[in-house]
Amino acid sequence: MSTTQRILPKGVSEADFDAALVRFREILGADSVLTEGDQLAPYTKIMMAGDDKDYIPSAALLPTTTEQVKGIVRTCNEYKVPIWTISTGKNLGYGSAAPGETGQVILDMHRMNQILDVDPEVCTALLEPGVTYQQLYDYIKENDLKLWLDPPAPSAIAGPVGNTLDRGVGYTPYGEHFMFQCGMEVVLANGEVVRTGMGGIENSSSWQVFKWGYGPYIDGLFTQSNYGIVTKMGLWLMPEPPAYRPFVIQYDDLEDIEEIVDVLRPLRIAQIIPNAVVIVHTLWDAGTHVQRKTYYEGSDSIPREAIERIKQDEGVGEWNVYAALYGTPEQIDVNWKIVEQAFGKSGKAKIMYGEEAEKRGGGFEYRAALMRGDMNLQEFGLYNWRGGGGSMWFAPVSQAKGSETKDQTELAQKILGKYGFDYVAEYIVGWRDMHHVIDLLYNREDPEETQRAHDCFAELIDEFAKRGYGLYRTNTEFMEQVAGTFGEPLREVHKTLKNALDPNGILSPGKSGIRS
Amino acid sequence: MKLTRRQLMKNGLLLGASVPLSLGAAWASDVGLADDPAHGSISLFGVDRSTTELGQGLRQQGWTPRYEGRLDPLALNAQPAGTLATGFTDEAGLVLLTSLLAGRGRVLALGRHDAGQHRLLSHRGPIAAPLAVDAGSWQAALGREYARLATASGSARHRQDIRRPYGESVSATELSFLVRL
Ligand SMILES: Cc1cc2nc3c(=O)[nH]c(=O)nc-3n(C[C@H](O)[C@H](O)[C@H](O)COP(=O)(O)OP(=O)(O)OC[C@H]3O[C@@H](n4cnc5c(N)ncnc54)[C@H](O)[C@@H]3O)c2cc1C
Repeated sequence: MSTTQRILPKGVSEADFDAALVRFREILGADSVLTEGDQLAPYTKIMMAGDDKDYIPSAALLPTTTEQVKGIVRTCNEYKVPIWTISTGKNLGYGSAAPGETGQVILDMHRMNQILDVDPEVCTALLEPGVTYQQLYDYIKENDLKLWLDPPAPSAIAGPVGNTLDRGVGYTPYGEHFMFQCGMEVVLANGEVVRTGMGGIENSSSWQVFKWGYGPYIDGLFTQSNYGIVTKMGLWLMPEPPAYRPFVIQYDDLEDIEEIVDVLRPLRIAQIIPNAVVIVHTLWDAGTHVQRKTYYEGSDSIPREAIERIKQDEGVGEWNVYAALYGTPEQIDVNWKIVEQAFGKSGKAKIMYGEEAEKRGGGFEYRAALMRGDMNLQEFGLYNWRGGGGSMWFAPVSQAKGSETKDQTELAQKILGKYGFDYVAEYIVGWRDMHHVIDLLYNREDPEETQRAHDCFAELIDEFAKRGYGLYRTNTEFMEQVAGTFGEPLREVHKTLKNALDPNGILSPGKSGIRS
Repeated sequence: MKLTRRQLMKNGLLLGASVPLSLGAAWASDVGLADDPAHGSISLFGVDRSTTELGQGLRQQGWTPRYEGRLDPLALNAQPAGTLATGFTDEAGLVLLTSLLAGRGRVLALGRHDAGQHRLLSHRGPIAAPLAVDAGSWQAALGREYARLATASGSARHRQDIRRPYGESVSATELSFLVRL
């Protein structure tokens, strides 16, 4: 079956789109305006359970300067052409680099990739959106700076700006990325440029150190939103600690999750354990390097008996806690005693670090790398678990309390089981909150299974919301539904802001369910 | 890892267990090859028999495959613009590969080779070859088809599902790709 039909932005005539393309080429040069099918193909690869036909861009634009971005925005306003902004474009499992809906033009910022400043004294950086974690990592190494990054699991290929703007997370003490962001430069829909925080003061030296500036603090408006295009972003970097001790604590029973979280919470709040701790279920811990079919061929969810065999063969627990201590060796020794005591009380925990943890296998090696901000792509192994290229992150937020885990885990397993999917999950424990991250893995090549995955995800959203659990982030197929769970008053405010800032609705229409 | 054909044969042991002996043998032999490589080199990724056969198909159509071992999309990304690459990878490799090509390259064709069928997607117009095994293996037929698509001028998106012969033994899904940086 061949398709040659031209994709146009919604509501834009062919003549107007052609005129806009001419203008884009004048602004960017012909090589930076992509319109051919094989060039646009990488922007169509989605992993969520949506129809491929709903996520095809009409073009992709590759600017290299803020001036060019301003020109693009002005052209978009003139011809009412909607653009979907990405920075490094690796939002895999959340919509990837594809547009929010067919016809939108991708604004791909990856060529704006200058590291504008790294200050090793105050430990800050100022970056353009296309800078990858790998690039910044290399810069730090080449310049022998004693600084650590905090990448998400796709580390090397993703970037601090895109990740932070979608309020992503990492695994060092700087794991809540938006908390460590400081100062932005934003191109607004009208083509004006605004610098947030202290950035408005000419020659200010405090743009990357003082977040709040003067008057209402607005940086949050540009995260998970479609109110502007971020062209520069400041962030804080962690000073390399003199010592680092990653460790793993294994528990054998499903019910142990309650104890784990209750033991962990006071240690996290008091910063005894300062990093974003993960409590990883067997299927995730093994799924990064084991294939499901080795243990089970059925198309329903993997049975308990197979999970027990995986635990045995891989030497992993039902729950596997990965955390780390940072500081001087003396501080680590003191804190280690506190950790051992706290987790040792019930006699259920198996606590390991150093050689013992390394020998254990499971996810220790790659988790230890991520908790010290090193680059590692091991987690992509999850795509080989079930195969078929389907993946959607379901990530509700709750308090970091044991009592919030039992019903969540049961509910997730029940709904996933009903639709024949596996509970490939982890809890990420923040300072006081918890993200319950479930990777809904399915075979996207099978239309029936894809429909099931879609229905399953929709039911997860609704059932979790009924119990008070909302998602911290979601993929483009479900943005509307998730926005609905947060209530009309909030949606109204979002819409009012959108109408004020982007009356023509040219910036990422539909992002987080927001449209003008 | 970049190995020339000569190094490859010298280093048979290096490639070791995961590469069937047919790899060295196939490339050492000149059977079925075009007289004169007409098209230049193409990076070839993968570590098993399918890769060997794919390479054969390419050579039959005048390409010189350069064996690169297991696909490392990051290393591929570092290669110069214009580089053509093909081969087999796993699900994780495919996700990384397609994602890294955004704004950096072109996806010419992708194949998903399951137990029941071959599913091919071309961005270079229709797929001509039925991947029949009567002229050798389906992988070699795929190599010949990818060789053709590498120089085809079509731009239409074309999907084709091809049933695999009943009884053909298939151990796992294989994923093939043809891309240009
Ligand atoms: C195996 C695996 C593991 C993962 N683990 C993690 C993890 O540990 N933590 C995590 O957070 N994520 C994780 N992810 C999800 C995702 O890959 C990362 O969040 C990734 O960092 C997002 O891609 P990016 O950094 O390239 O951002 P982009 O894709 O460039 O941007 C993300 C979104 O931010 C907005 N945006 C981007 N740039 C701009 C801009 N300049 N102006 C305005 N808005 C903008 C857009 O809405 C865009 O869709 C994982 C994915 C996989 C496949």
